[in-house]
Amino acid sequence: MRLFLAVILCKLLRFIGGLIGKGSSLPGQFALKVCPNVLGRVKLPEKIIAVTGSNGKTSTVEMIAAILEQDGRRVVYNKEGSNQIEGVATLILSHCTLGGKMRGDVLLLESDERYARHTFKWFHPTHFVITNLYRDQLSRNGHSEWVYDAVKDAVFPETTLVLNADDPLVSCFARDHAPDRVKWFGLDECSVSTREHRGVYHDGARCPVCKGPMEYSCFHYAHIGHYACPACGHKRHKPDFAVTALDLKAGRLTINGDRPLCLAFKSIYNVYNILAAWSVCALAGVSPDVISGVINNYMLKNGRMITFRLGEHRGTLLTSKHENSVAYDTNLSYIAATEKPCTVLVIVDAISRKYFTGETSWLWDIDFDRLNAPHIGKIMLYGRYCNDLAVRFKYSQIPADKIEVGESIPAAAAYLKENGDEDLYVVTCFSDRDKLLEHAAR
Amino acid sequence: MELTILHLYPDCMSLYGEYANVAVLRRHLEAMRVSVRVDTALFEDTPDFSRADFIYMGAGAERTQKAALSALLPHREALKAAVDRGAVVLFTGSAMELLGASITGADGRVWPCLGFADFTTRETGNRSPEDVVARASLWESFVVGFMNKCSETFGVAAPLFDQVERGPGNAGDGSPGEGYVDGNVFATHLTGPILVKNPDFTDFLIRRLFQLKGWQQPEQLPVLPYEREAYEVTLKELTSRAGG
Repeated sequence: MRLFLAVILCKLLRFIGGLIGKGSSLPGQFALKVCPNVLGRVKLPEKIIAVTGSNGKTSTVEMIAAILEQDGRRVVYNKEGSNQIEGVATLILSHCTLGGKMRGDVLLLESDERYARHTFKWFHPTHFVITNLYRDQLSRNGHSEWVYDAVKDAVFPETTLVLNADDPLVSCFARDHAPDRVKWFGLDECSVSTREHRGVYHDGARCPVCKGPMEYSCFHYAHIGHYACPACGHKRHKPDFAVTALDLKAGRLTINGDRPLCLAFKSIYNVYNILAAWSVCALAGVSPDVISGVINNYMLKNGRMITFRLGEHRGTLLTSKHENSVAYDTNLSYIAATEKPCTVLVIVDAISRKYFTGETSWLWDIDFDRLNAPHIGKIMLYGRYCNDLAVRFKYSQIPADKIEVGESIPAAAAYLKENGDEDLYVVTCFSDRDKLLEHAAR
Repeated sequence: MELTILHLYPDCMSLYGEYANVAVLRRHLEAMRVSVRVDTALFEDTPDFSRADFIYMGAGAERTQKAALSALLPHREALKAAVDRGAVVLFTGSAMELLGASITGADGRVWPCLGFADFTTRETGNRSPEDVVARASLWESFVVGFMNKCSETFGVAAPLFDQVERGPGNAGDGSPGEGYVDGNVFATHLTGPILVKNPDFTDFLIRRLFQLKGWQQPEQLPVLPYEREAYEVTLKELTSRAGG
């Protein structure tokens, strides 16, 4: 009876919420009040795929959904990215019959890395994709080993883990797991790989298992690469699904020696997202024909890269995740690779969108020296925290005469509207991007 | 004028831009025509405490912190000798806990620490990263920063900060202080580039270093561009908004 009530209540609130445009977690929250174990009582589809990690969850989930749908499966997934237990409850219950059976062939969940254990207390995924773990919003998340411990509590023996072999911390999830229930994905050494680590800090310097010095034969980015610990033997596993060739500039990659695929967005992130999606879809029985067909025609919809015009400037806004230095580094590398004369505008105005913090330490983890390139002319540092940015740039190799500092974003926009016609790149986070875009033509 | 900084375990006791503490101190000293040498020591090295004027360790994740403890304990006496001759020591974030008597893990395991002070730390299993505003006891301004801890520290005889206006203090028992000070040994659980964020703290340490070296104290210390402006913005933001 409680189950029935919870389903009804959730559907009703979801309907009202839809009318007034209200959020996706409230109905689930109420349903969980009425029937706390509702997620353990509903009948779920045979396949439950969960995706977690620091970066790439949403993009990977969307790609997996597109592939499975193309394969004719009915996929229920959290499009709105509400990835904590209340949002997951809303999603499941609003797709349930009144008898408590979820409609659909696959339940696909983007799962918050810190809250997965609450959701999966009630049901266990059949496949759990873990993309990567790195410094990400420490003002919320603590640190990556803390997040690792939280995700670890959400890993159950019957789940097949689909792990990024190139991330030494993510690889640790396999340590207490039956080997036949672990599948690995990773990049072979390729055009993006380097012998030396790049970046301001190196979170792979020490083995996550024994804290001995880790040895890398190559790095793909940050601490992602091919590693082995001489002290305890923790090392990269040979991937079941491998990118065997990659030309990032041309936007082409090959998985397991199959046909070349086109990259809609030429970033190393996107390569891993595609690889993760390929891996789990192949494990779910989708043929390479279907997967590659979808990926080749795939349009990224997440709005992380927006083009606009500002006066005579052709602008590109590159949005980075909040307080996430790896995301910033990736975007800075993108600008460095453009090679055409340009101006870069970096905005730090509000640090977080969802909560207040004045925490700026993460600026010191960003490798701003990537902007030290001849084609990058002026670098404008704007927003409330422009002084923090200015101090940070004093510790880069970038010549001081390229730097301009100011607080007012409208003033920066007005100046750019009146002056110059070179390409413009804007580097900022989600909470600040509209502060520039409102002055631009789309 | 020459001075040596020893940075302990920079490769991993570095939760969040801690390297900048050494960089900013060096930059300020160099602006005063001090020639600065920076030594680093990894877990596998024997740190050379004998010539260090300033010894720094930053924050690390809990397991890394325990590894740092194991690496440092065999060199306790050498570090103690440096402390006794007045070397300026700054341990930030979870490195602070190493100076005390012990750390008790959330699982109950007890880790004996350096024992330079009597305080003890207990890990709680809960973490709430928070912005911090605190009143310094040794200089005349507020300290701003960020704390990222999952522990409480009890029995600190002399806190570095008298009063925490925003964020957690040493213990959750309502005692107002944060950090630890004893002579030239300074510790705080503030994480990240706290010397970048707090120019007065940097200046305070520089004066202690000049004292240690027997150099004449300059009347004014150099003010480097944007640092104080950045501090003012953060202080204003953190004090004008409700906590939490």
